[in-house]
Amino acid sequence: MAAPKLEAPLDDLIAAGAKWTPVPLLEEIKDHGRAWEDLAAQYGVTNPDPPWKTSLDGMCEALAAGSCSSVAAVEKEWLEGASDRAHLPGAPALPLLERRWEEDELSATLYQDVPFPERQLLALAHSLIKRGLIDERGLAQKVQEVRERLSAT
Amino acid sequence: MPHDDHGHGHGHNPPAPMVDEISDFEALEIAVRELAIAKGLFTAEDHRKFTEFAEHIGPTPAARMVAKAWLDPEYKKLCLTDAIKASLAVGVNWLNPTGFGTPSDYTDLRVLEDTPTLHHVVVCTLCSCYPRPILGFQPEWYRTPNYRRRLVRWPRQVIAEFGLVLPPEVEIRVEDSNQKCRFIVMPMRPKGTEGWTEDQLTEIVTRDCLIGVALPRPGVTTNLKMPVHRAAKPAHH
Repeated sequence: MAAPKLEAPLDDLIAAGAKWTPVPLLEEIKDHGRAWEDLAAQYGVTNPDPPWKTSLDGMCEALAAGSCSSVAAVEKEWLEGASDRAHLPGAPALPLLERRWEEDELSATLYQDVPFPERQLLALAHSLIKRGLIDERGLAQKVQEVRERLSAT
Repeated sequence: MPHDDHGHGHGHNPPAPMVDEISDFEALEIAVRELAIAKGLFTAEDHRKFTEFAEHIGPTPAARMVAKAWLDPEYKKLCLTDAIKASLAVGVNWLNPTGFGTPSDYTDLRVLEDTPTLHHVVVCTLCSCYPRPILGFQPEWYRTPNYRRRLVRWPRQVIAEFGLVLPPEVEIRVEDSNQKCRFIVMPMRPKGTEGWTEDQLTEIVTRDCLIGVALPRPGVTTNLKMPVHRAAKPAHH
């Protein structure tokens, strides 16, 4: 038996996408970066995940862990409309629910054609830039610095 | 003993293939992490601990829990009444899974027992809550709004998309994970496994069986690779 089909209403997609402004640096990486599935196929590597995946997972956990015991309380206040969450005691840098919901939206819009976990990484960077926790120019410089460091012989 | 299998004089196995290229995504992951640490969003030590946790978790403890329960009725009772205590027998301290704290509030774990007339399947409609300490990281499809929204509305059809077609007389119960409670499914032991050891049984209790989108079968030890569909109705939070 086939599952009932749901078609994406165009207006919904546009509405969700309109909330998100493309970040030029991330667009550049999205358009020109090589995803793990391509690299693995080219080099004959069978590991399904890129080597940086667990580090990305660790980063998401660490960002949500500002204060383990108070995460639930902080998120409850935020869900109830607290507008100044950043000043709530024990507020994590990027609460898990906010990150996941933004990842859902970005995955359905700006980064819909990017495979996982590259999509998760772009969404995380986007969320951090949107909040001003890191800035795009600084990130661009850092990416370049890292590239040069990794390429050094 | 073979003297030289590969013609390079040492008798070593050839090196595993590796990606000899730096991707933009790899550079981006490192750059975001180093900036976040420099700005004090988390410490390098916290990141190291969480990454080590991420590297050592997987579905084997949950699979072993089910296999042990199939073989030991007393252990099965413990799983169904106190899954947190039962998880200790497979090497998982549920109340302190990382040994250093976790952003999630792992306060409860429940094992859902399937019967001939009842099948369980697990979802997290809110985000992607998952019993990570005992089952590892979620598959990509589990994280998608497509699975999360449709499963609760059409569970029978959605699990059929995974190839699991259940007769109409079998009730399907969907359990919604949350910050306080995580679930794993204990499927029925399949026919054809009489006399099997715990290790043998553990191999056929795949991640998908433990979520409830597959049933264990002799000879099947891998999960289905599902295509991921886009959200039909993107969230507006």
